[in-house]
Amino acid sequence: MGATVDPITATGTHPRNVDGQAITIAVFSSVKWSGRIWLPLLFWAVTLLARVEAWLRRPPGTLARLSFIHFARWTLVRRIPYNGAPQQKEKLSYPRLFFESNFNGGWEEYIDAFSHILTKGMILFWGTSYGFPQPKPTAPFKQYIKENELEASHFYSAYPQATTTMVLAAHDLERKFDAFKGRIEGATPDAFAEAWRAFLSEVQADL
Amino acid sequence: MSNRAGQATAFMAITPIVAGKEDELRAYLDGLSQDESPFALLPRTHFARWVILDDWNDEKSQPKKDHLLSRYLIFTSNFDGDLSSYLDELCDKLAPQAGELWGRCVGCPDGAAGEALKEYLMHNKINTGFFVAAYPHLRVGDVKRALDTRARLIDFAVSSQGMRPAELQSAFNAEFLLTDGSR
Repeated sequence: MGATVDPITATGTHPRNVDGQAITIAVFSSVKWSGRIWLPLLFWAVTLLARVEAWLRRPPGTLARLSFIHFARWTLVRRIPYNGAPQQKEKLSYPRLFFESNFNGGWEEYIDAFSHILTKGMILFWGTSYGFPQPKPTAPFKQYIKENELEASHFYSAYPQATTTMVLAAHDLERKFDAFKGRIEGATPDAFAEAWRAFLSEVQADL
Repeated sequence: MSNRAGQATAFMAITPIVAGKEDELRAYLDGLSQDESPFALLPRTHFARWVILDDWNDEKSQPKKDHLLSRYLIFTSNFDGDLSSYLDELCDKLAPQAGELWGRCVGCPDGAAGEALKEYLMHNKINTGFFVAAYPHLRVGDVKRALDTRARLIDFAVSSQGMRPAELQSAFNAEFLLTDGSR
């Protein structure tokens, strides 16, 4: 990696949840009986929608457009696997909704963005959880998340120096750079210099 | 159920910690360095974590309280490609660490490695409901290479300011064409 190092923006959470620019968040919430039916249907619908959008090559949905999220997942935990004695069989009174995300930026800003941009989506995902206070105002929601958040014991990012925006920009830049290298084959020095300036102008948003 | 987003896969396993081994496991995890993370041995891993779940956090509005009978080790990973071959790699390359981690969990096979460990992790797998990725078609290697190219281009754009055309072209060729065998 070169000498360019972006300032670390990961703030507002325990250091164990941070690796470079990346933050991890993991939250368990207890789910009402209605969520046993609703959440699997929701997961099926949003997964299908995402696949159709990808197949149609349409722009990604709202969640994927939040430029600071690397990965996110929702899981309905209905049972705890049993491994035999001495483990005691767990009988969950309520299924648990597990949410995990890897993102960059500040924890507070992340929750704010979720609340303001994904307002309806959050109600769809957490509306069947006990104690869910609605996305807005954000202060009670942040408190709800803090109370249900799990601190990482060990968290790893393969590219801790990179924000999501940097990854996407670097990928876009690489494609343009490959094309640029094809254009300059056999160029004279003057033609090369002109092409280089034009290239820098073309990719300045990715740098 | 959707453990996949593009070529990326999400995995989660919840394993019960042997009673009395919680502190040892916590101390081992506390001692892991991010700079020398065991996950770095698995080059298909984008993000991964281990978490100890002590108990549920119950809400006041719940009709009744719910408590776990054991403490649990939660393992989650976002990685490239299929789960089976990833777990093969994990059970091979992470065998020493696996003994320190899952070796302190109920039901973990002796030696905590190989096919037996893979079966153990699969037995304790929890399927993901909805998984989303910002760059679902980029592998870890793609991401690292693109970031490296971007950094080198930024450095070159800065260092090459003021160069004459012939000098600029020569420096560019030396930086990106002569030294970059992958292209």
